[in-house]
Amino acid sequence: MNRPEVVFDEVSKFYGEVLGVNRVTLRIPSGITSLVGPNGSGKTTLMNLMVGLIYPDQGTITMRGMSPRDPERLMRITGYATQYDAAPRGTTGFDFVATGLLLGGYSQSEAEARATKALQRVRMMEAAHRKVASYSKGMRQRVRLAQAIAHDPEVLVLDEPLNGLDPLVRAETIALFREYAGLGRHVILSSHVLQEVDIISDQVILIANGMIIAEGEIRTVREEIHEHPSQYVIRCRDASRIASLLFEQDHITQIQIQDDRLGLLVMTRSRREFSRALTRISLAGHTVESVVAADENMGALYEYLIGGDR
Amino acid sequence: MSTALRLRQVWTIARLQLGRVFFSKRSFWVYLLALFPSVIFFGHGLESKIRLKRMSSRVTASAVIESIREGDTEEEVLQRAGSPINDSTNRRRAVRDKLGKRERAEESEEPVRRYMMYFDGQNRVDLNFEAGILQRKRTRAILNFEEDRRVFAGVFQYFYLRLAVFFGCLGIFINLFRGEMLDKTLHFWFLAPARREVLLAGKYLAGLIASVLIFGAGAALCFGIMLWPQNGAEMEAFWRTQGASHLFWYAASAALGCLGYGSVFLAAGLLLRNPIMPAVVILLWESANGILPAVLQKLSVLYYVQSLCPIPAPMDPNAPLLIRLLASPAEPASAAFAVLGLLGVAAIVLWAASRAVLRLEINYGID
Repeated sequence: MNRPEVVFDEVSKFYGEVLGVNRVTLRIPSGITSLVGPNGSGKTTLMNLMVGLIYPDQGTITMRGMSPRDPERLMRITGYATQYDAAPRGTTGFDFVATGLLLGGYSQSEAEARATKALQRVRMMEAAHRKVASYSKGMRQRVRLAQAIAHDPEVLVLDEPLNGLDPLVRAETIALFREYAGLGRHVILSSHVLQEVDIISDQVILIANGMIIAEGEIRTVREEIHEHPSQYVIRCRDASRIASLLFEQDHITQIQIQDDRLGLLVMTRSRREFSRALTRISLAGHTVESVVAADENMGALYEYLIGGDR
Repeated sequence: MSTALRLRQVWTIARLQLGRVFFSKRSFWVYLLALFPSVIFFGHGLESKIRLKRMSSRVTASAVIESIREGDTEEEVLQRAGSPINDSTNRRRAVRDKLGKRERAEESEEPVRRYMMYFDGQNRVDLNFEAGILQRKRTRAILNFEEDRRVFAGVFQYFYLRLAVFFGCLGIFINLFRGEMLDKTLHFWFLAPARREVLLAGKYLAGLIASVLIFGAGAALCFGIMLWPQNGAEMEAFWRTQGASHLFWYAASAALGCLGYGSVFLAAGLLLRNPIMPAVVILLWESANGILPAVLQKLSVLYYVQSLCPIPAPMDPNAPLLIRLLASPAEPASAAFAVLGLLGVAAIVLWAASRAVLRLEINYGID
C-alpha cells in the first residue's frame, strides 16, 4: 500500500570519491520539512535524489510510494524548484511553466490557464512573456516556484526557495507552503535562514557531511540534546528571590538576572524538574509572568549539533 | 500512460528543440557546410553562362572548325574561320640544352607561339601554333553535362556525405544532450513528467527534422544549381528519364545520412563528455570503410548512403593507392538493403542511447 511518506532507506550517494550522502534513512511525513545544514552538507544531493536527477549508489527511495526512476509518474505529483538558475535558451517565463504542463498531458488551453494562475500566484504575470535569461535572481526564483506549483503537486521540493524574494512575496510564499501542508501534502525545502525555518517548519532534518544529524519537530530534537542545558527566560517581579529559590535545585546550572531585574535566564539539565520547581515557586506566591524556552529554535539546534559556519 | 500522450510528448519536446537547433549560433556553420557545394556549383554555372554569352557574339560554324587540322598554317586557319574570339602571341622562346632540357627563355623579335580561340556555339576550340604551324587543337565544351554530373557525384560523395553531413550532424546531435549539460539546462527536461526514452525520441526527432531539412534541401538545391546552366534540350531529356529519380536519391541519401549519423552522435553525446574523440574515431571508421571486410562495412553509415547514390563517385586512377583505397566506395548494396540496413544501424544505436539516457545523472556541481 502506498503511504504518503517520503522514504529514504539506507541511501548513499558518492560523486566519484566525494561523499554526497551516506547511509541516509528517513521517513518524512507530510507537512513542511526543512533540510538544514552547512554548504556542501548534502541538502541538494538529497533533493536531487528525491526527484531522480541523480540516483543512489546504495539504498532505495520512495516518494509517496513512487520511485524516482519513474519520472513519468513521479513528476505528475512532484514539483521541484531547483537552485539551477538556467532555463532552456530563449525560453520565456510563460513557456518555462507551460511546457512542463504540456508534457504532463494538459491540453494547450488548460496548460496556459494553469501557467497563468501559477505565475499570478508568484506575482510574475507582468514579466511572463519576457525571456528567463533577462530575469533578475528573484524573478528566476519566482518563475521556478511557479513551475513547481503549476500542476498542483502533492510533493513540493524546494531548494532555497526564499532566496532573493522581497518581503511581500516571501510572506505570500510561506503562506502558500502552509496552505499546501494544510492539505496533507509534502513541502520539503532547504534553507540557510534559520529564523525562517523556525517559523515555517513542522519538522526539520539536520544534515552535515552527508549524514543525518537529527530529524523531527524542533522541540523533540531539542529534548534529545542532553549535552547542552536547556535555557529558559522567566519574566517576573521578584527576580532575585526567584533566582535564589531556583539555585537550591540541583538541576539548575546557571542563572543570569537581566539588567531590568524583571527577568532571568535559567539553564537547567532537567526540563521536567525545572517545570516542577517553577510550579512550586508560583504556588508559594511568587508572580511569574511568563516562561519561554530560549533555545528551542533552529539557531540553537544548529549551534549545538553542527556548530561552526552556517 | 497512453501511446497517444507519449507521442504528443515527443512532438512537444521536438517542437521546442527545433527552434534551438535551427536558430542557435552553433548552427551557423552547419548552414555553411550544407550550402558550400551549392555556392561552388553556382559560381561554376554563373561563370559558364557569362562565358557562353560572351562567346556567342562570334560563333564559327562547326563544319569549319572540324575542317581545321593540326599542321595547318595560321593564314589558312584565319582564311577559313575568320578572326578568332581570342588571339594572342608569345615572343619568348625556350632555349634548351644539349639533352633537350629547357634551360632558360629568351625574347625573340618575331612571335614564336600564337594562340587562337574559336567557339562553335557549345564548344571552345583552342589552337596553339608554333612557328606559324598549328601544333595542337583542343576542343572543350563550355558546359559538359556528363562531366558536371560526375563532378557533382564526386562532390556529393567525397565532400557532402563524408564531411558536410558528418560534421553537420555532429554539431546538431551531439549538442542535444551535451549542449544542455554545458548550459546547465538539462534538468528542465529531466524534471518533466516524461520517460527519458520519450525525451530522447523528442530530441532525436528535432535533430532529424532540422538536419534532413538543411542537408536534404542543400543536396536538392545543389543538384538544381548544377542543372541550371545546362542545355535546355538535354535537360528536358534528363528530366524525362532519370532526373526525378536522381534528385530523389541524392536527397534521400543525404536524409538517410542524417538519420544514421544523427543516431551515432546523439549516442556519443550521451556516452562521452568530449565530442572530439568520438568524432575522430567515427570519421576514421567511416573513411576506412572501403578497406574493411564486408561484414564490418555494413556497420558504417557511409556504406549504405553511398550505395543509394545514383552515380558512382569518380576516382582519379593516378591518385595514390592509399587515397584510392580510402575514398573508393565499397561494393554497393541494393537500395532496399541500404535503406533497411541504415534503419537497422540507427535503431541499434538509438536503443543503446536509450539505455544510456536512463543512467544519465544531472551533476553540474556538488552541494
